[in-house]
Amino acid sequence: MFRTRKMGVVAAALAVTASLGLAACGGDSGDEGDSKTLKLWHYESPASGLGIAWTEAIKQFKASHPGVEVVFEEKGFEQIRQNAGMILNSNEAPDIMEYNKGNASAGLLSKQGLLTDMSEEVTKRGWDAKTPASIAITSKYDQDGIMGGDKWYGVTNYGEYVMVYYNKDEFKKLNLEVPTTLAEFETVMQRFKDAGKTPLAVGGAEYPAQQIFYQLALSQANTSFVDDYQLYKNKVNFQGPELTNGANKFAEWVSKGYIAKDSAGVKAEDMGVSFIQGNAPILISGSWWYGRFSEEIKYDWGTFLFPGNKLNAGSGGNLWVIPSSSKNKSLAYDFIEITMKPEIQNLIGNSGGVPIGADPAAITDAKNKELIENFNAINTANGLAFYPDWPAPGYYDVLVGGMQNLINGSKTPQAVLDEIATPYNDNLASLGK
Amino acid sequence: MTSSETVKPAKPGGLATKTLVLTGLTIFTGLVLAPFLVVLLNAFKSSEDYSQGGPLSLPSAIYFQGMIDFWNRVEFGEKLWNSFLISASVAVLAVIISVLNAYAIGIGRLRGRTAFLMFFLLANLLPQEALVYPLYYLSKQFDLYNTRLVVIIILTAIQAAFGTYLLSSVFRDFPPSLLEAAALDGAGKLRTLIRVVVPTSWPTLSVLFTFFFIWTWNEFFLPLIFLIDNDLQTVPLALAVLQGQREVDITTTAASALLGIVPAVLFFLIFQRTLTRGVMSGAVK
Repeated sequence: MFRTRKMGVVAAALAVTASLGLAACGGDSGDEGDSKTLKLWHYESPASGLGIAWTEAIKQFKASHPGVEVVFEEKGFEQIRQNAGMILNSNEAPDIMEYNKGNASAGLLSKQGLLTDMSEEVTKRGWDAKTPASIAITSKYDQDGIMGGDKWYGVTNYGEYVMVYYNKDEFKKLNLEVPTTLAEFETVMQRFKDAGKTPLAVGGAEYPAQQIFYQLALSQANTSFVDDYQLYKNKVNFQGPELTNGANKFAEWVSKGYIAKDSAGVKAEDMGVSFIQGNAPILISGSWWYGRFSEEIKYDWGTFLFPGNKLNAGSGGNLWVIPSSSKNKSLAYDFIEITMKPEIQNLIGNSGGVPIGADPAAITDAKNKELIENFNAINTANGLAFYPDWPAPGYYDVLVGGMQNLINGSKTPQAVLDEIATPYNDNLASLGK
Repeated sequence: MTSSETVKPAKPGGLATKTLVLTGLTIFTGLVLAPFLVVLLNAFKSSEDYSQGGPLSLPSAIYFQGMIDFWNRVEFGEKLWNSFLISASVAVLAVIISVLNAYAIGIGRLRGRTAFLMFFLLANLLPQEALVYPLYYLSKQFDLYNTRLVVIIILTAIQAAFGTYLLSSVFRDFPPSLLEAAALDGAGKLRTLIRVVVPTSWPTLSVLFTFFFIWTWNEFFLPLIFLIDNDLQTVPLALAVLQGQREVDITTTAASALLGIVPAVLFFLIFQRTLTRGVMSGAVK
């Protein structure tokens, strides 16, 4: 007994010694800018539209840069979100990486000097001309790291926008047409309600509810409202016509039964599943659902833009950024160049994504084509309004709480607007605006 | 779970009570196991199957592809090895350090031992988030950022703090007769430690070892901060790759969760005997 015990200790000690030796030789990548490697990170799953397109882009990069080794790693979204600042401030930074757009992410890093100002290359290579104006807003930041600035700190290949997904079979059953105005949309929902069906699938516990609220506010808004709300150009009146309409209409939709009273606790995932299963005929949410719906829905379905709106929630996609400490910046630019090529753009489009520069004629699937044409229509009208939770840190949870109050009817629309105005204005004050 | 449940002949009139207790325990066990069952159910479903039938339906066909895809996508074998390496090293080192500390504090009756214990307790209560930035800068200074070694060092320190606290109070009640006997036989301090104290408290030490191993295995936050390269990462980090920005892949997550649980369960089953022995050891003497 004693002997085996001793053997165990020796074995354990050996294991530790071995492990220390191993650990010590891990993770030094101190090779200086030799133009021989491109260290590239992104966090899209390999089967998604972007994942497919970027895998192809890496392949093309290897072909056009023989002798350059591409060190690609698929990262977890959470790791990049938590750690980007620390990683970029160390020797471990990649040469190019995907990163979240917005003031709190890319904006913050650019302000801290951790990202390369790409403006010169962007103009030289003509990427600015390829990027629609309202998409470019999330690529450009000012010296305070606020989006819509004058310097390019990232380049995006794609966009996303909120739209209406609908069950064509259910529409046909009730002889309904695709609505083109908000009033028509409400009539459609009323018809479903009369037929004993709750028309909208809504996830009140997460982002979907606030995006519906924002769409309703946008139905009464013009671009200067968006500039004020998102870019702090002027003070926003939370009791003004736009947001009041958003809150009132939302509460009305709840009381008329278009939005189920028990949806305050529903997660986005469950909302999506209930649409996939055909339990609810209509779902208002973003283009990120598109790929999954194409794969999993068994019935006939389609999309249309939120009826009557000139402005829609949505934005450019995540950015390619080049860390300041990148050792192979010119290779990184070459890689972005490839992702902007029409064939890669079309590949994104054909895989169910929303590329910024696809040629609709090159998109083979009719439904994908519709998705991209709708997006192009929004862009021509300069109609991307970003997301309601962007203006202030932690605002997402404030809005989730506010919308849950509206769904539960525990607060009046006016009270909810007051409730969500406070953190917004606090943030303004802390920015010194 | 099945061993040592041979109950002594029941007291008269105990049948009703026994049935009641048994029913209660069955319900509790069911409640504890329910989430694992849901994981098991969804791990072998295709994503399409899940969307059509929801989380509680039986899979229409047993689907292994989710697990295989996940394994290849994150190179799970490599992650298992990293997790094992880090957990085993931490468990061994932390036990050794705890023993040395506790020997000085509990048996050596070091002066100011209460203060030391308070210090270790406080170190334990400190949230890990507060440690991140100092540790980050230190590790960069020593060129240890993005190595497994730095995670081993930090977690050893954290686990050893708890171990020291626990072992010190165990050693305080160490039978003085044994120590005196060793002293009479002319054993020095080191010899007493190795020949008397460690063998006597072996069961407690193996319990500590097991806990350290499992705690380190499940550690998420610090490895997330310090292990940057994919080929250095551990199992919990690999599972997190599936959590996208907006979408969650439930079935693959379930499959990966199953893969993540299995090693810990295996480890627990292997060490279950030492665990029960360790817990009982104090009681019997």
